[in-house]
Amino acid sequence: MAETPETADQYFERYREIIPDYPAFLEALSQPLPLYFRLNTLKVRDPSPVMEGLSRQGFRVEPVPQVPWFFRVEPREFSLGNTEEYYLGLIYPMTLSSSLPVYALEPRPGELILDLCAAPGSKTTQIAQHTEDQAVIVANDRRLDRITALVANLRRLGIACVVTTVYRGEQYPLEVSFDKVLVDAPCSGEGRYRRGYEGELLFQKEGRTNLSGIQKGLIVRAYDLLKPGGILVYSTCTINPEENEAVVDYLLRKRQAELLDWEAPLPSHPGLTEWAGRPFHPHLVKAKRFYAHEIEAVGFFVAKLRRVA
Amino acid sequence: MKGKNRKKLDPQATWPRLIPEEEREEILRYLENRFGIPPEIFNSYEFLATAKNYWLFVRTPHLRALEKLRIQTAGLLFLRKVSGYLKPTTAALQRFGVYARRGILDLDRYTLDRLRLEKKIPFTCSLEPGYVILRCEGKIWGCGLYLPEKLISYLP
Ligand SMILES: C[S@@+](CC[C@H](N)C(=O)[O-])C[C@H]1O[C@@H](n2cnc3c(N)ncnc32)[C@H](O)[C@@H]1O
Repeated sequence: MAETPETADQYFERYREIIPDYPAFLEALSQPLPLYFRLNTLKVRDPSPVMEGLSRQGFRVEPVPQVPWFFRVEPREFSLGNTEEYYLGLIYPMTLSSSLPVYALEPRPGELILDLCAAPGSKTTQIAQHTEDQAVIVANDRRLDRITALVANLRRLGIACVVTTVYRGEQYPLEVSFDKVLVDAPCSGEGRYRRGYEGELLFQKEGRTNLSGIQKGLIVRAYDLLKPGGILVYSTCTINPEENEAVVDYLLRKRQAELLDWEAPLPSHPGLTEWAGRPFHPHLVKAKRFYAHEIEAVGFFVAKLRRVA
Repeated sequence: MKGKNRKKLDPQATWPRLIPEEEREEILRYLENRFGIPPEIFNSYEFLATAKNYWLFVRTPHLRALEKLRIQTAGLLFLRKVSGYLKPTTAALQRFGVYARRGILDLDRYTLDRLRLEKKIPFTCSLEPGYVILRCEGKIWGCGLYLPEKLISYLP
């Protein structure tokens, strides 16, 4: 007998207790995702010609006051990928919250940084921009086709500080140690769900594979790739505690890592210290949850850790 | 336009070699002579070489360590050696062309569109023949080749 597919409302019901202002959350799911881009300051400092160019093409563009170099665009149904500004590498379309892991990472010029799950490169290019193209970034993804897309983005933005590799993250060679590692993990993508739009079935399809297992493998390897005292940022765009707090909790039990506070430019909620009757390490309150309806972007989870030993 | 300029990556790619000082000087001299780009702009970068290409990569003491990785690409494809001449890539000019003081061709919108469409158009200007920076309405588009009475586009 065929099961009737679960509706979004039924699916998210399991998070009713943890999502603040749950009715507002459900309400937001009916809106298409807002559209944003990052200005590529490696090529332009002054946003006015870009804003003017885009408005000539029918876009309304507003800077996001809390997050430097990010702009919100309407109509959100249009694609920025066909504009001249995109072609010339002046802009990088990405959701606003996708900038958060790089805020936690605080990359600096000269640092050796690994972006373990990097394609198509929104965060890699943001790190490059943040460090004026002067950090050394290794951008890895297990899929060659996705690395090809990342390389096209690097070329488009004019970035020279990136090396690209194609390894399974869990088996990344241990010969090189890094100052910082970003794990923007493959996830069920619940945070990007909107009714009838992109992401519709993702959480139902991928929810059945063992994502949590893959994520645990990635976070432990990321830790092992750090120099002592090095910084690890773990992020996902899902609400699911099994893919978030449970993964970080697993690392804390396997390795000597400590959770760190960090300052986020958007409103957040503390990480959970308990889920489905299972307690997590109390320091998980230092992780941050970002909900779609509060930040008007894709929902995110970000944890910042330090390698102790 | 999205995805159009994607090239196949070489899965067998190996690390490009770090070039000797004289070769670097040669590159910097070319960029200065042809485009007036001051050499200091590249103080924090290395040039790495493969058979026919030069790549721009951030200067780092970690280069040796990184060579242990099996890589797909390192840095930005910057110059190509084309029949004995150096040809800057469009990506290089889009990023560093703002520092240029000569070798710049300002095109009106109509001529740019025509050039992009036809790839090669009849054209006369006062510039020395050779590679040029294509600019339109203040924005740098990339690399072209000016030869007596014609202009060739290398825009992707
Ligand atoms: C959330 S996406 C990354 C988005 C990217 N960080 C950005 O900001 O543009 C997750 C990526 O992980 C890659 N991936 C999946 N499993 C992996 C593994 N075992 N090792 C490395 N990368 C993996 C996927 O191909 C996908 O590109």
